[in-house]
Amino acid sequence: MPASLMPLAPLRRPAARGRTHRGRNGLLLLGAAAAAAGAVAARRARPARPRQSTWYAVTVQADPAELTGPDRPDVLARLAERHDVRVTPAPGGRGAEIAVAAADGRTREEVRALKQLLETGEVLVVEGQPEGRRTMLGRAALPVFRRLARRGAR
Amino acid sequence: MKALCWTGVNQVAVEDVPEPRLLNRQDALIRVTASSVCGSDLHLLDGYVPTVMAGDVLGHEFVGEVVEVGPDVRERRVGERVTVCSIIGCGRCRYCLEGLWSLCDNTNPDPGFLEKLIGHATAGIFGYSHAMGGFAGSHAEYVRVPYADVNAFPVPENVPDSSAVFASDAVPTGWMGADMGGVGPGDVVAVWGCGGVGQMAALASLRMGAERVIAIDRFPERLAMAEGIGAQTLDYRRVDVLDALKELTGGRGPDVCIEAVGMESHGTGAQYAYDRVKQATRLQTDRGLALRQAVHACRKGGTVSVLGVYLGVVDKFPMGAVMNKGLTLRSGQQHGQRYIPMILDRMRQGDIDASHLLTHPLPLQDGPKGYELFKEKRDGCVRAVFHPGSHPASSQAASEPATADAPR
Ligand SMILES: NC(=O)c1ccc[n+]([C@@H]2O[C@H](COP(=O)([O-])OP(=O)(O)OC[C@H]3O[C@@H](n4cnc5c(N)ncnc54)[C@H](O)[C@@H]3O)[C@@H](O)[C@H]2O)c1
Ligand SMILES: [Zn+2]
Ligand SMILES: [Zn+2]
Repeated sequence: MPASLMPLAPLRRPAARGRTHRGRNGLLLLGAAAAAAGAVAARRARPARPRQSTWYAVTVQADPAELTGPDRPDVLARLAERHDVRVTPAPGGRGAEIAVAAADGRTREEVRALKQLLETGEVLVVEGQPEGRRTMLGRAALPVFRRLARRGAR
Repeated sequence: MKALCWTGVNQVAVEDVPEPRLLNRQDALIRVTASSVCGSDLHLLDGYVPTVMAGDVLGHEFVGEVVEVGPDVRERRVGERVTVCSIIGCGRCRYCLEGLWSLCDNTNPDPGFLEKLIGHATAGIFGYSHAMGGFAGSHAEYVRVPYADVNAFPVPENVPDSSAVFASDAVPTGWMGADMGGVGPGDVVAVWGCGGVGQMAALASLRMGAERVIAIDRFPERLAMAEGIGAQTLDYRRVDVLDALKELTGGRGPDVCIEAVGMESHGTGAQYAYDRVKQATRLQTDRGLALRQAVHACRKGGTVSVLGVYLGVVDKFPMGAVMNKGLTLRSGQQHGQRYIPMILDRMRQGDIDASHLLTHPLPLQDGPKGYELFKEKRDGCVRAVFHPGSHPASSQAASEPATADAPR
């Protein structure tokens, strides 16, 4: 029987974990990984760069009314202390759009976790699964990959 | 416990790994009784899927017994025999609610890589690289299944593991291929590839009322299986496929073309050589010979339904044919949760039987051999299925019969 003393993951990811790398570095590394994999992204013409949106947005299967006002989820309230947060109904009654201004990697991770929590009641954990022998490089790279990929491109 | 891990390009090994535990409240733990190889694994094995790492447990097509459930699991019970969908859904995001389960928003915890590569992240998949969520696979004694209520399906008592295991991946994928093609009475359907997926696409097309199904491959034993299902067959080494399809369809071309080959398409002639060189030098990531042929062959206004897996860019994609012939192009990783209950029910009634795909039942210890047979298509291997509970000497006794004489 598999171990049954199961420390269940907390409903919400701990907010801050070792965060040395931020946005740019992260994206560069992530980009490098993609390129090394023979991926497509590389060959983009680069004239003067169009300005990127500073808002990070997700759509959540939830009633916009539940995400505004005093009863909104704590995570959202806390996000709103640090960032401009915009909640708008998605077109066609298809849930709510949450947009966060000036979102860095950690904030993007939080917003995604919030979406998952609102929709499914938990945030999936992949750390702590069975794994075979890692190479030394692999062992070092995996948490870095995960952190970058979790914060995501934008 | 024992698990079959990826250890390098074209290398797998059975290793001792820690047993899984529940990590989320909606998880279940499954004791794996049968876990199949799949054509998708070959793309991993051959190193075409980035972010696979030495030590990753492979396997995504499986059946087993529920041995533990998290406190928020409502439907699944310890002791149930279940088929688990190879692609993980959450059941609550917009995509899952619309039946587009493989596009789930919530089951890939590490979405950044795919966002960068293809614009958005798609669902997590068991044992299918860190880009696809980094979930440990099913070639192991136990596997953890997230959101168990929506991803694990009870298997009817009279359906043996040898058929139920394919309700996880090959059968629903094939079904989706025909479904996306909108196959109906009177249609002529052509299917490229007679592996598990192509065969099941042929079978689904016939169940949906197709008048004729033409299956294409080069391995006689696979072509024979497709004939057993009720398809006509073409060996692409012996006949010019495009010519033959025109002749067989009164010059129109098939109404629906299902591609079940993927990014490592084999072929003959200059195109094939060209593709291999470009893929080897990374000027293209994916080799799309069968795909091109399907587009070319398809009748005007027809549908090309792409089940074969692609990850990057395909060179010389005939966009002109898609545009000018007014084709509909459909594709996707399988939305298994949408089809599996119906498939298991048809298996119960004897309307679908997939157990003939299981040509090589093996103990998990023989995993490396299983992959070699499957990759090289040696010894008539269509799918090798591992039985983690069994041991080399007792493998025959412990596994389901390898061939099925059941009526189809
Ligand atoms: N969409 C999904 O969710 C999904 C699920 C499972 C598998 N797949 C993909 O489906 C494809 C097939 O999977 P499988 O398990 O049947 O694999 P498989 O390796 O058993 O079968 C592939 C078959 O294609 C044949 N083939 C190669 N080149 C061909 C060509 N030019 N014309 C005709 N046939 C050709 C091979 O001979 C082989 O029999 C793979 O790309 C796999 O990744 C997709
Ligand atoms: Zn598969
Ligand atoms: Zn979902």
